[in-house]
Amino acid sequence: MDEKIFAKKDIGKLLEELVPEYKFYAPTKIKGNIAFKEITDVKEIELDYLNSKVPPKDVLFPQKEIIFEYKYEGKDVIIEERKDLEDKILIFGVRPCDAYSFKLLEDFFASGDFQDDIFLKKRENATIIGLGCNTPRQSCFCTSVGGHPFQKESTDVYLSDLGDIFLVEAISDKGKSLVKKLTWLSDAKKADVDKAKDLAKQAEESITTKFNFDLVTKVLDENFEHPVWQEISESCIGCSSCTFLCPTCTCFDVIDENDEYNNRGRRIRIWDTCQSCLYTLETSGHNPRPAKIQRCRNRIMHKFSYYPSNYDCLGCVGCGRCITACPVNNELRLIIDKILEIEEKSGEKVSA
Amino acid sequence: MPNPYIPILTKVKSMVSENEVNDIKTFELEFVNEEEYKAFDYVPGQFAEISIIGKGECPIGIASSPTEEGTIKFTIKKMGTVTSAFHNCDIGDTIGIRGPLGNGWPMEELKGKNIVVIGGGFAFSTLRSLVLYVLDDKHRKDYGNITVIYGNRDSSEVLYRDLLEEWEKRDDIEIVLTIDREEESWTRKVGFVAAVVKEVAPSSENAVAVVCGPPIMIKTAQNELEKLNWKDEQILNSLEMQMKCGIGKCGRCNIGEKFVCIDGPVFSLAELKRMPKEH
Repeated sequence: MDEKIFAKKDIGKLLEELVPEYKFYAPTKIKGNIAFKEITDVKEIELDYLNSKVPPKDVLFPQKEIIFEYKYEGKDVIIEERKDLEDKILIFGVRPCDAYSFKLLEDFFASGDFQDDIFLKKRENATIIGLGCNTPRQSCFCTSVGGHPFQKESTDVYLSDLGDIFLVEAISDKGKSLVKKLTWLSDAKKADVDKAKDLAKQAEESITTKFNFDLVTKVLDENFEHPVWQEISESCIGCSSCTFLCPTCTCFDVIDENDEYNNRGRRIRIWDTCQSCLYTLETSGHNPRPAKIQRCRNRIMHKFSYYPSNYDCLGCVGCGRCITACPVNNELRLIIDKILEIEEKSGEKVSA
Repeated sequence: MPNPYIPILTKVKSMVSENEVNDIKTFELEFVNEEEYKAFDYVPGQFAEISIIGKGECPIGIASSPTEEGTIKFTIKKMGTVTSAFHNCDIGDTIGIRGPLGNGWPMEELKGKNIVVIGGGFAFSTLRSLVLYVLDDKHRKDYGNITVIYGNRDSSEVLYRDLLEEWEKRDDIEIVLTIDREEESWTRKVGFVAAVVKEVAPSSENAVAVVCGPPIMIKTAQNELEKLNWKDEQILNSLEMQMKCGIGKCGRCNIGEKFVCIDGPVFSLAELKRMPKEH
């Protein structure tokens, strides 16, 4: 049997063995929320969690990061590129939805004539240790976007939580060589593998939110000017929680930060959001998306219409963070329902 | 693959004020590294992300033509933080450039066609590039007649006067200048660009219109061309949009599923009609 196991209490061994080689990121509890942080002490790892508040996307695409640093010498400028992009990173405990988001991010940043070297280098040097979802949240809908609470494909090593032990499966070549190095892992028994299969089935069955996104995309493509967008955007307060907590959102702003006294500084990028009116505001004062209705529509269209057109997949992994984060309960499930109602109503008209 | 966010370094070689109020200047830049200049292979209508390191970066259309060897020019109006910093530059200051970016005017497709150039205000810069390219000895025979309709608010705002004078001396290009309101000593047309398009009534036969200007000018000029039986495919527009990266990653310049930075900035009216009205 290829599968291995290790006891949860031995997680310190894993950390100890991998920390010299990798920046080791794991779920930790910070101010009551789960977040992926770089750790060196096993006590920091939190294994009892559903999912993190901020997706682990921020390990490879942080809220704020340096593009390059510069210094002035008279009128000359010297540019210093980042040297930390080759660091080896390991992210432990990534849920399957978030692991899948790394694939979407990688495809997006690699698409077109210009590749985002900063993200792609970090991705290349990152190892993802996935962890199956025994108890999907009520807001989860990964099975509607082509995912599964036990999906392994986008991980390097995949773990199933069997109570006191983790079942370990090496998925990618990177994962296989990593598992090979962990000689202290024990072989799994057939009962362990069967238990993981049962858990996967139970988890899948517990997901009750289901959408036909092929239909959603079709309805969106045909109803850009539909009055439903007015209704959908009415209660939105533009707080942007949905985009800032989204594992597939990639928009950023670019800013120069100066250290005036030392004639140096750095160009950074920081997360930006299509829900802000400043996002598209031009210096002339012209704004192509001046109102909430256009901004709310842009987010939904981007995930479920533009993404399928440009990259042949949905720009959503079904993690449900935008659902739980919305402070006015203008959440995705209700938005999708309203969009699908357009189709139902037009169907009624035809049959009447 | 090099990091696409790292600018090439250039130096300000010259600065020329283009108008009386001195808020539009044309900057000529010199590459620090000759090899990088040679690799900067562009077509008219493309843009670059240019920056004053420490102040920020912004997308600006390339005003020079690839036929003007040894130089690269940008015409910049003083508007916000970055453009104001440009206006405070001295000769020899360092400027970062990333580019060329965007699709540019389709110079191959324009071959054999009559070209009607319609521009308004300081957006004329990439049209300058296009006209210079077509008038160049190497290319002139590839293209048909050129008509330039160029409008400004008042006479003091007319860019590239020396160049316009030179072009007027030629018999293979027609120049129509207009300003919004009457002025003493102005002997050219008076009225908005759209009205002048109507008056000049350029023929759509074997022709393409290239349009660049403020959104309202683009729209009204398009309407007039449509009335003159121009087809949507014959009308090309260069759009402007808020951009940060210029390479399709930062997100904000999307119009529907298209990005102005990589799918544009040049779109035909036929393409624009298939896109949402979010520009």
